[in-house]
Amino acid sequence: MSVSRVLLVCWAALATLSVCTVALAHVGATSLLTMAILLVAVGKAWLITDGFMEMRHAPRLWRRLMVSWALVLATVVGLTLIFL
Amino acid sequence: MWFFILAELSVFAILILVFAVTQALKPQMFSESRLLLNTSTGLAMTLSLLTAGLFAALAQEQVRRSRSRHGAVFLLMALLAASVYVVLKLTEYRHLLASGLGMEHNTFFTLYWILTGFHFLHVVLGMVILGWLAERCRRGLYDANTRSGFESGVLYWHMVDLIWVMLFPLVYVLS
Repeated sequence: MSVSRVLLVCWAALATLSVCTVALAHVGATSLLTMAILLVAVGKAWLITDGFMEMRHAPRLWRRLMVSWALVLATVVGLTLIFL
Repeated sequence: MWFFILAELSVFAILILVFAVTQALKPQMFSESRLLLNTSTGLAMTLSLLTAGLFAALAQEQVRRSRSRHGAVFLLMALLAASVYVVLKLTEYRHLLASGLGMEHNTFFTLYWILTGFHFLHVVLGMVILGWLAERCRRGLYDANTRSGFESGVLYWHMVDLIWVMLFPLVYVLS
């Protein structure tokens, strides 16, 4: 797959996930939905880091740091909102 | 550049966590205040930023192929997409201020203005950088061998996108 096509697929996935975020919010406000919305956000962050930023070609340490930023943040936010 | 990006991400992570902790302490206030924001506008802002990110990445691909002028066109398209975000955000700010929902209204709006305002400044700086890169591309100053500065500028824009995808659900969606 060409680089341009990969970028277009990433963008389409990001747009779809953004619409999913709003759709999930309209379903209700439960702990499960909160986790689902945050999981979608982590998925979007992964698409940006690996797709747009091309971290899939970067050294493993930098890639892990960038991807884990969203993952750790979403985990802490989720735990805070659900258990605090 | 990567250290700078990680430092910026750390600052925003702290602000986002402060927002989340305060929401957990004052859930009712945050739920009621969030109803005063328009989720559809937030979604439109998200799509405009992501579209700008797509065009910036496509511009980078053109520069890699030493097609600098094509890169300039994609960067201008990125700026156009980012302008949609700026117009929507300024309209939202004006509407909130007209409704008396400024920084001192309550804790939700204090954090809303700090978080989104700080991000908005990053978007504006990102647009200045993209505009500067577009001008240099138009003059043919970047090619496959001299693109590291270009890639740093585009990375900055993607960082702005990355922050927004975490900020958007927290500020506009999560109750």
